[in-house]
Amino acid sequence: MSAQVPREKEGKILILATESCAYPGADSVGQAHSSYPANVYILRVKAPVLFPEQFYLDCFDKGIAGIILMSCGEECPYDGAYHALAKRVDRVYQLMKEQDVDIRRLRLTAICTVCNRAFLNEVNQMNDLVKELGPPVPAPRA
Amino acid sequence: MTDEKKKSNGPSERIGVYLCYCGGNISDHVDVEDVRSRMEKLPGVAVARTNMFMCSDPGQEMIMEDLKNGAVDRVVVASCAPSLHEKTFRSAISRAGKNPFIYEHANIREQVSWVHHGNAATDKAARLVSAAAAKAAHLVPLEPIRVDALRHATVVGGGIAGLRAAKDLADRGIVVTLIEKTPFLGGQLARLDRIAPTGDKASDLVCELAGQVLAHPNATVLTCAQVDDFDGYIGNFTLSVKIQPPADPKIPEGSAKGTDRPDLPGRFIPFAGVLPENPPEKEAAVKLNTGVIVLATGFSSYRPRQGLYGFGTSDAVITLPELIRKMAGRPAAGSLLTIDGRKIRSVAMIHCVGSRQIPGIHPEDESGHLNEYCSRTCCGATIHAANQIRETFPETRVYDLYRDIRTYGRGQEELYDQAAKNGVVFLRFRPEAEPEVSFADPADSFALKVNVVDTLTFGEELEVPADLVVLSTAMEPSDVSDLVEMMKLPVGADRFLLEVHPKLRPVELPKGGILLAGTCQAPFDVGESCNAAGAAAVKASAILAKGYVELDPFVAEVDAARCTGCGDCVEACLQEGALSLIPVQVEGQEGKRAQVTPALCLGCGACVAVCPENAIDVNGMTLKQYEAMVESIVSDQTAA
Repeated sequence: MSAQVPREKEGKILILATESCAYPGADSVGQAHSSYPANVYILRVKAPVLFPEQFYLDCFDKGIAGIILMSCGEECPYDGAYHALAKRVDRVYQLMKEQDVDIRRLRLTAICTVCNRAFLNEVNQMNDLVKELGPPVPAPRA
Repeated sequence: MTDEKKKSNGPSERIGVYLCYCGGNISDHVDVEDVRSRMEKLPGVAVARTNMFMCSDPGQEMIMEDLKNGAVDRVVVASCAPSLHEKTFRSAISRAGKNPFIYEHANIREQVSWVHHGNAATDKAARLVSAAAAKAAHLVPLEPIRVDALRHATVVGGGIAGLRAAKDLADRGIVVTLIEKTPFLGGQLARLDRIAPTGDKASDLVCELAGQVLAHPNATVLTCAQVDDFDGYIGNFTLSVKIQPPADPKIPEGSAKGTDRPDLPGRFIPFAGVLPENPPEKEAAVKLNTGVIVLATGFSSYRPRQGLYGFGTSDAVITLPELIRKMAGRPAAGSLLTIDGRKIRSVAMIHCVGSRQIPGIHPEDESGHLNEYCSRTCCGATIHAANQIRETFPETRVYDLYRDIRTYGRGQEELYDQAAKNGVVFLRFRPEAEPEVSFADPADSFALKVNVVDTLTFGEELEVPADLVVLSTAMEPSDVSDLVEMMKLPVGADRFLLEVHPKLRPVELPKGGILLAGTCQAPFDVGESCNAAGAAAVKASAILAKGYVELDPFVAEVDAARCTGCGDCVEACLQEGALSLIPVQVEGQEGKRAQVTPALCLGCGACVAVCPENAIDVNGMTLKQYEAMVESIVSDQTAA
């Protein structure tokens, strides 16, 4: 599936944004007409705890250059989900190291519904990073 | 639902994509026609259309027409944020006689045209719409989950908010049980005297409402009672309630008297509350089956640590609630305020004690907490007390030491103005240079002195002589850790219970059927507490009125054919009871399979990530749908 990783000028950044905090947060940035790089794609999720480790690895494999998990943090409406997510991200980091993917390509953050500055900060930092690193090199398949 | 899934084996081949200009909001930056022509070429897309305003009647009718004549069986609308119009388009689909869950939304205004420009905006819009279409291809019709609702409500907490909610619910014909931990009704309000800004007597407010609740045929009050077990879901909760004799069985008789209304039951005991009946002498347990739960667990008053502004080292340093109690009901015995037999010539009142604490300046308490919030009510209460002193005891001077005055709300500003007219002396300090309270020299006739750097006089160092220092202490949430644990309640960083949305859904919790009333949520004054309680009561009765509740179908579903019964999902599940293993017969063998209780499932997906067989998914947002979206985003099929 990933034989043809599109090599593009700019790496794509995927944001998994929680429907109760970060996604409305991204909308709030829009309402403020604050510009940010257009290579950022936001998907709405109830809670990013839904995604197994493999999902992240597959994303890098498919050519996504950076992933930002924008959660609700301590204000998570699903008690225990943030903790479970943080543990999963640790395991994803382990797997990324094993597969030689720079772990800075995956960030776990908390963004609230009005955290415009924090949102822009995260996006710009990740964008700088993917510019520096380029697209991820797919791991050789066993 | 399963049958429908079987029918729709492959992805849809008849996706309708509808793109909105938003009257230029989108089309000024995104070439909408270009996106349309790119979408038309996508596999599975049957029609791609545009409109100046998709949300307008002609826009919606375009979708309905395509659905009715069978041109499309999945709908994608690309327009503004889904929070604005997702419901609009789902409802249009319902009106066309189709299932509203065959819908996916692409956000190309807030997340594209308002933040990007030129070709980059058009390209990004195309990718986002194609991702939405890719997800839509895998959507299946879903049915809302319908559960019967018991026409019974439980209110936890017998303060003013709990009483208000119980009264409102009972008046609407709903049977209510109110559970109160102490022997008394009236909560923290019963421990006050006259209430800012109106000067109402707290005891009148408490007696009136408690009396009405106690006399109501639909209401039952359980005092000395606590919830000790919780189960179930919206419409069908079960609570077990433990009734325990109070640790101190002695009732402070004092000037006990009946409520002011002899026709109403209960006795009012000053600074304790309304005692509906004598406390129980034996333990008892009560089981409640209830449809909704209103949490009105209230607040507790901040206790300053030993030595803070001299607190605990001298009887001349007291909290505002203590001052209110000591001043209550005292006739004006002279021109000087007298507290504990001491004549008070000068009072220093210090604001923000335990509120608006700043990391790095204020130390954390023993559990590592800082109260960074404003307690909302203390400025009004402090100035109200200052006015009372100045108006009743004109010889007693009042110094008000504050950081900022926040007497906002109706009637509050007038209090502040009145304080100035009454000759209250305001001194303003910076948080990093708090006033220092120390014992005065024995030669001095005042007990204490307060040193403060006053920013109103541009940093002059002043020494205020005082016979009494009053600390305006914060409101802290009551310790409800047992309920938080039991009911899995979300708690904010400030430790108050956290609503779904502070503005749009202010009295609801993410767990359906549990509502918030009053100061368990944030510092409120009495009026605001009653507002919130009234709102919670209306929400609760709206839930119970129909006799059933309909829940969003975005919950986990097990693919029984793939499930091996390993139980990993049950282990990962964050909502007790939402997932369980049930015994089944598999090819003549005893086996187990995971089973979802849809009414309990929150749809967070914690189970999805851990299933080794990919046998569990959240309806309406499956892993496969997300994978399809990611593939569309990286794909070049939408390139111009």
